[in-house]
Amino acid sequence: MKPSFNWRDAFGLREAGVYYALLLLLGVLAMAAAAAGRPGYLSAVNLSNIVYQASLVGIMGVAMTVMLITGAFDLSVASVAALAAAVLVGLAGSIGFVPAALAALATAAAVGLANGLVVQLVGINAFIVTLGSLTAVRGLVLILTDGRSLMVSDPGVLAEMLAFESSRVAPFWPALLLALILIVAGIAKRHPAAIGGVVLGGLALAAGRDFTVAAPVLYLLAFTALVWFVLGYTVIGRRLYAVGGNAEAARLSGINVHAYKIGAFLLSSLAAGFAGILFACRLGAINPTALQGSELTVIAAAILGGTSLFGGAGSVVKTVVGALLLFTLTNGFNVLNLGANYQGVVEGLVVIVAAAIYTVGGRRRARPRPVDPEPSGRADAAPVALGGAAL
Amino acid sequence: MVSAPPLLSCEGVAKRFPNGTVALRGVDMTIRAGRVHGLLGANGAGKSTLIKILSGAHSASGGQLVWRGEPVRWRRPIDAKRAGVATIQQHVPLVPTLSVLENILLDTGGWRRHRHDERQRVAGMVDRIGVGLDLDASVGDLAIGERQMVAIVQALASGADLVVMDEPTASLAAPERETVYRIVRQLAREEGKAVLFVSHFLDEIVALTDEVTVLRDGRAALHAETASLDEAGLAAAIVGKAVVQLARDRRREVTGPEVVAITRLSSPGRLAPTDLSLRAGEVVGLAGMLGSGRSELLHAIFGADPDAGGSVRLHGRLVGRSPEEAVRAGVALVPEDRVAQGYLPQMPLWQNVTLPQLATHSRWGLIPCPADERGRAAEAVDRLAIRTPDVDALVPELSGGNAQKVTIAKWLVPGTRLLLLDEPTAGIDVGARTDILRLIRALADDGLPVIVASSDYDELLAICDRVVVLRDGAVVAERAAGDLDEPMLVLLTGSAPVPTPPIQPTRPLP
Repeated sequence: MKPSFNWRDAFGLREAGVYYALLLLLGVLAMAAAAAGRPGYLSAVNLSNIVYQASLVGIMGVAMTVMLITGAFDLSVASVAALAAAVLVGLAGSIGFVPAALAALATAAAVGLANGLVVQLVGINAFIVTLGSLTAVRGLVLILTDGRSLMVSDPGVLAEMLAFESSRVAPFWPALLLALILIVAGIAKRHPAAIGGVVLGGLALAAGRDFTVAAPVLYLLAFTALVWFVLGYTVIGRRLYAVGGNAEAARLSGINVHAYKIGAFLLSSLAAGFAGILFACRLGAINPTALQGSELTVIAAAILGGTSLFGGAGSVVKTVVGALLLFTLTNGFNVLNLGANYQGVVEGLVVIVAAAIYTVGGRRRARPRPVDPEPSGRADAAPVALGGAAL
Repeated sequence: MVSAPPLLSCEGVAKRFPNGTVALRGVDMTIRAGRVHGLLGANGAGKSTLIKILSGAHSASGGQLVWRGEPVRWRRPIDAKRAGVATIQQHVPLVPTLSVLENILLDTGGWRRHRHDERQRVAGMVDRIGVGLDLDASVGDLAIGERQMVAIVQALASGADLVVMDEPTASLAAPERETVYRIVRQLAREEGKAVLFVSHFLDEIVALTDEVTVLRDGRAALHAETASLDEAGLAAAIVGKAVVQLARDRRREVTGPEVVAITRLSSPGRLAPTDLSLRAGEVVGLAGMLGSGRSELLHAIFGADPDAGGSVRLHGRLVGRSPEEAVRAGVALVPEDRVAQGYLPQMPLWQNVTLPQLATHSRWGLIPCPADERGRAAEAVDRLAIRTPDVDALVPELSGGNAQKVTIAKWLVPGTRLLLLDEPTAGIDVGARTDILRLIRALADDGLPVIVASSDYDELLAICDRVVVLRDGAVVAERAAGDLDEPMLVLLTGSAPVPTPPIQPTRPLP
């Protein structure tokens, strides 16, 4: 049987809305910038800057998407990232960068494991557990830093950290190669990945051979690609969707639901730990309130990407685009000098409008196809809210 | 009685949905006060749509509803409710955190929460129909049968003249059904209400109703006084052709080797230590009321009950005590509640079918191969005659019977060596039911041991070689199916004395 791909659905507002929103926003901001006499908004430097700014939230958002797909929730990511950063900064001077980074990741993993075990084995709602760890872990950061900013003083270690975070890479040839692969594979498989290839190739050509991006952008791309592949093309991915779609049905199909759900907590905290490491490396320092509130940005990115809060649906690529959308807004406010006062209102409205589009679009999608002469024979119809198709 | 003026008439009621689906093609039906009117039809025949129109959830796109002689058009459920139509849905929508009384009074007006006069009124009503309901109990703590009673009292409290009941007995055990029957008769005879009683069970339609309408393909295929009908005639009207009986060879001897040995399987508070063994090709039925331990036993065998102790051996080998290990060993469970436990609403049919054995459809056990999976799903669709546009359909888009077939199709692989089915035919139509029962028999004839739990004793007697009766979490009897008949099973399960008028045990299995 041939795999069918529904192009009409794929380009509908419900499925591709976040891409349209990003393009629309970029267009509006470019015109506004041009009108205000600030050309070069769409320059490679500014665009790559947006991606760079979005990279930490993007990395956490990808893991958060996996989390939401399994039907759980993690509010503690920003605190965990800050904790990892504090561990790194605190230890780097005495044991060196790499061991300190590993210790930071191990700390983050321990928090994730603790979250997962309490949620799964004790059976407390993930929202409550991670709300608790959000506060408790932030408290740990305060204890570790004693309420003050910590800095890495050893210049050698500091240089290593900076190199890890701010070394720049020229992506021209790899990007062109990847674009080619995507185009060929996409056309062969009749998959919209071909469009991504065209966009990527176009951007690479427009940016030119001398253009460089910062390392976090590559980390984000690599992590997104890995998780995208695992979710879309492996048994693990299918089971993650199954666990979130109907945990009991998954369990009775012989899937170890606990393992997958706890695994999602682990992944979420590890990604947060990695983001924290990048954050610490960027500044070479950490203050106790670092990243406070970014967990909500992370969740907002996932929602903008169409991830269902009820589990069973979501796409990491769209989450990253959602993060880009949010940071494009921030960037636009800065470039146009609109003042940060309006920023919150606009960002909040964007999230609500996106959720509204997904819900309304989802309802339309859930309408029955004529199977029987009578659609109400579907006595089993379950509500599919905020989410529908898998990646 | 027939001369009583009609309370509600449907005159050529039709329904065409905006997407072009035609659900009703013109239904004529007359409902009179003081009578129980049966409504029958296969899944997809238009019953649910008709009920939705009567309850105001949909409005008819053609034809006319006449209520007490006046043409009416109900646009919202509240319109129908105000006019005097109360609908009891199949899945009773009650608020589990509120008390029985508050649920009953949920749709009454006023702003005070605790009104003494209302309480008196409801208590009187509960006494009158003779159900022992504790008005202050929380609905979440009630058994499903008691919730059904709450819904009925709720309908009465709203002062309805027509009570529409959509498969009220589908998920009830025998004694609870008897209570529903008694109340339905009382509503019609003593309270003078009209009752529209929708059911898949032919015997209860014959025993309970005064007249019957059978829907088929969106039309009323039959309308008659119940007294003039028998179950075979009804079944024929539902399917539109003579029903083939599912023949059972009562002398069939299962002589295969013993392949399943269950020893001292128990679960604290749910299941007393139970021993059970099955031969290859044997079908064992589990009979018992709701809460008797049928589902608990199946879940314990499947390893889905973490508290369970004891052992299950399959072909001499110990089966691990978790669903993962059970599936690996070849144990398959089709759970009772297909919506909550059976399928994944967001995944297409083909992904649902292959979920338990996904690794075997994957390269290196890791990368699923969709073409392979679709092939397997397409085979299952053919083999089980699943009515679906294609293998990409989402399971909730299918009718109940077809969705149930999908949850069974998950386990139709050579690796399945013990099949457990929990109420496999609950709430599905005659055709799908027959398909599923035939399939179970065919699988057993190929040597698969099968354990089936069912509230439908006829069904158990028709397909099982042996029946195990459970009560309060323990096995109380075990008999060859050939030595049993339905009244004996009813007695063994410990149900109430034989009801009046008795439900005929002679229903031929369609």
